[in-house]
Amino acid sequence: MLNKKESYAIIDKVLSYCNYYTMATLISHEEGLTRFANSEIHQNVFKSNNTLEITIHDGKKQSKNSTNILDDESLKELVRKTEQNLKFMPEGEYEIPKVTAPAEIANEEYDAELESAFGIPGRASLIKSCIESLDDDYTASGAFSLSKMVFAMGNNSGIKRFCRLDNVSFNTVITHKNGPSGYAEYATDKSADMDVTKLFNSAYSKAKAALNPESLEPGSYTVILEPLAVGDLLSYMSYVGFSAKSVDTGISFLAGKKGQQVFGENISIYDDHTDGNTFSLPFDFEGYERRKLNIIDQGVAKELAYDIRTALKEGVDTTGHGLGEASTGGFPINLIMKNGAKSLEDIIKETDNAILVTRFHYMNVVDPKKALFTALTRDGLYMVKNGQISHAVKNMRFTESMLNAFNKVTEVSKDRTKVPGFFGVSYVPALKIDDFHFTGKTE
Amino acid sequence: MRKKIEMVLERIRACGAEYGDIRIIDTIKESITTEDQMVADIIDSRSKGAGIRVILDGSLGFAATQDLSNLAETVERAIQIAQAGRMLQKEKIVLAAKEAVQDEYNTPIEIDPFTISKEDKINLLLRAEKAMREAAKLSRTTGSMVFQRQDKIYADTEGSYIVQRLYESGAGIEAVVNSETDSQIRSYPNSSGGNHATAGYEFVESLKLVENAPRIAIEAERLINAEQCPSGHYDLIIDSSQMALQIHESIGHATELDRIFGSEAAYAGMSFLLPGTINDNFKYGSEFVTVVADATIPKGLGSFGYDDDGVKAQKTVLIDKGMLKNYQTSRDTASKIGQLSNGTNRADGWSNIPIVRMTNINLLPGSFELDELIKGIDDGFYLCTNKSWSIDDKRLNFQFSCEIAHEIKNGKLTGKIYKNPIYTGITPKFWGSCDGVGNEKHWILYGVPNCGKGQPGQVAHVGHGSAPARFRNVKVGVEDVK
Repeated sequence: MLNKKESYAIIDKVLSYCNYYTMATLISHEEGLTRFANSEIHQNVFKSNNTLEITIHDGKKQSKNSTNILDDESLKELVRKTEQNLKFMPEGEYEIPKVTAPAEIANEEYDAELESAFGIPGRASLIKSCIESLDDDYTASGAFSLSKMVFAMGNNSGIKRFCRLDNVSFNTVITHKNGPSGYAEYATDKSADMDVTKLFNSAYSKAKAALNPESLEPGSYTVILEPLAVGDLLSYMSYVGFSAKSVDTGISFLAGKKGQQVFGENISIYDDHTDGNTFSLPFDFEGYERRKLNIIDQGVAKELAYDIRTALKEGVDTTGHGLGEASTGGFPINLIMKNGAKSLEDIIKETDNAILVTRFHYMNVVDPKKALFTALTRDGLYMVKNGQISHAVKNMRFTESMLNAFNKVTEVSKDRTKVPGFFGVSYVPALKIDDFHFTGKTE
Repeated sequence: MRKKIEMVLERIRACGAEYGDIRIIDTIKESITTEDQMVADIIDSRSKGAGIRVILDGSLGFAATQDLSNLAETVERAIQIAQAGRMLQKEKIVLAAKEAVQDEYNTPIEIDPFTISKEDKINLLLRAEKAMREAAKLSRTTGSMVFQRQDKIYADTEGSYIVQRLYESGAGIEAVVNSETDSQIRSYPNSSGGNHATAGYEFVESLKLVENAPRIAIEAERLINAEQCPSGHYDLIIDSSQMALQIHESIGHATELDRIFGSEAAYAGMSFLLPGTINDNFKYGSEFVTVVADATIPKGLGSFGYDDDGVKAQKTVLIDKGMLKNYQTSRDTASKIGQLSNGTNRADGWSNIPIVRMTNINLLPGSFELDELIKGIDDGFYLCTNKSWSIDDKRLNFQFSCEIAHEIKNGKLTGKIYKNPIYTGITPKFWGSCDGVGNEKHWILYGVPNCGKGQPGQVAHVGHGSAPARFRNVKVGVEDVK
């Protein structure tokens, strides 16, 4: 892994070869992942890579190139080719302004305990002890990974950016020999937060409760979505709807709705890298300082994620959510949904009739303008009757507009958890939603 | 380089591993995106590194690095990982036999895409966008091109040494029309970036982006005012581009033997098929359904010389006249069912382990003219171009939406179009309802460059060939489910 000094040295070196305004981005990454299936380790891997990308600007022209070959001659060649490409580039719509402030944003902090607790032998040992607790009728599958990552940036206007993002993630499916299964997943940048045994036992309990599932006919049901399921919906809403670019191009379900009540008053969604429950990258991939976004405030559409180009087009400031690709635009990566007052357990206790969903599988967007999504349930679907789980249900497919669903949320849980997002994690509660449309079933 | 590789293999042997291989891969990519007649992104990239795989006492270890000056350390790490894996291993990994090979393979190309200037490539995309804009009133137009050259050396402790140079080229365009409440898109030659092939720049020229631009622009404009596709049960003809994804999701992934053995259970999922199902005379579809995994077909995005086990590219019948015959296998999975590998073990670059990936999973052409297929439908639709896809973790319950539905009444296309067609089904029942596949004249090979699988996530480039095919009594739409 490259540290701050080493990262800045490579960036300074490549910038010294550049004849135009240039932004350099260095990503240093190491990942070890132990994968298990059928209660044995079957894929156990490690990779490391350092990639440097430069974006050279000449007025309204821009040329971009990346390499992971970082010797002096290769860096000079990278610059030469990238500057040569400028000749062929047509002018873009805007001249991208130089990033000049703040001079430095640096976060070198990371939890060094992650390596000692979850290195190669540590992961294998933890998985082994968990699997030894299973009855013969069950097998476990999953992945346990330790990721170390450095993002560093600099330009020849003198700014510097550095952030170390290390995290550990664990997921497991525990499956009964007859097919029913249970699931748990968690990712964190704090070693003390990762309780593999607790996660494993949770998945095991879910698998046991999933035995003898009954079939339900497609139709409209009240659902209680656990945080993993909510996180999936939130990620896809963000993907199609929360960027200024998606609004500008007209595909967002929030297009033309700024200031309007789009969801129920009990729904507030924001993006905040300073919240300790997501992974903080304090600047975006264009070098701008990342701002907090109040995306949905008590159901009202408020702020959107901007990259520099969309900001220039609309004559506003970037919010610091650029991914470095103009075709993508801004993208919020630290999503948080405000919680409610009741625990998930109490919500279940107060429910007469609902379907409890552990997570979804293979979600996709059917119609972005309506925020119409589809997915299957997976690894634990249960019927809640008279305040408790009465039996398991066979997996079902939903096809539902989030503009409907998030206007029919009757409960938001007090407890929230970190769930996987498209980048890092989101922090979300469980939701109880009326009139949720299941349009298909499995046998 | 060969000497360095031999030293790595010798070190693997010296560490006591019964097997080891190394892949050194150098990949250059060029990606151009245009949007609303301006260049949005041009990204060039290069990535070079080595992946080392060892099997030690039946346990797998893999380590990858960009630092080719210190491969000894990477060997040590792979060995350490394999040793850790032995802590929790029920069955030792056994590789099916193969012959040691010394060979070289190059993708046959006519025009090296990296010799064509960016200016020419950008101009082609901008001309296609202009042709779309001139044909219809559009809200947004886009174009994209992607090119890749991969130089790959594979060597293993069994004596194989294989050098490959693989080229890929692809391009596509999109026309979008928005209204206050709706957004409709038409893509050519396919959605998600167009069509892609192991070929040179001649493939991009053959797509005739400019010539096809007006047609999709006009269709996008018509779609915004079209009626919603009705819900119910209808007979369908599905065009080749949508068939590509139908084959991909409901046959391709379902017949990967590693999934069937549970390797992907916690992530991508498993399969409704079991290891022994190939011996059970399982009826996967109707007699019209014959599907092959063919890594040898020219221009297929899943075509190559050798897979990442060093096994030669092959053509394998997966489904013969509706009956399941074979799975896609690697050396480690094939040995579990007493077979030799049929050469589908592939990794995403140097930094990932090879896993079973589709090559070109093709539905072989039938005997029907398109008119004949249409004539056989009283009330149905001809669906074109994928818009959305989803399938369960056992590859049974699927739901797709397409960009456009052409109405068929009394054996004829009426000229009326519908928007947002969705269809859904259960895999064997759906393929069992196929009662006709178009002939070779209508057969098109599509490249899918974005197939995700594995942890850490890997993206594979695969191909699917098909002619339009007819299916009976398929559930269309979800609006009628209350």
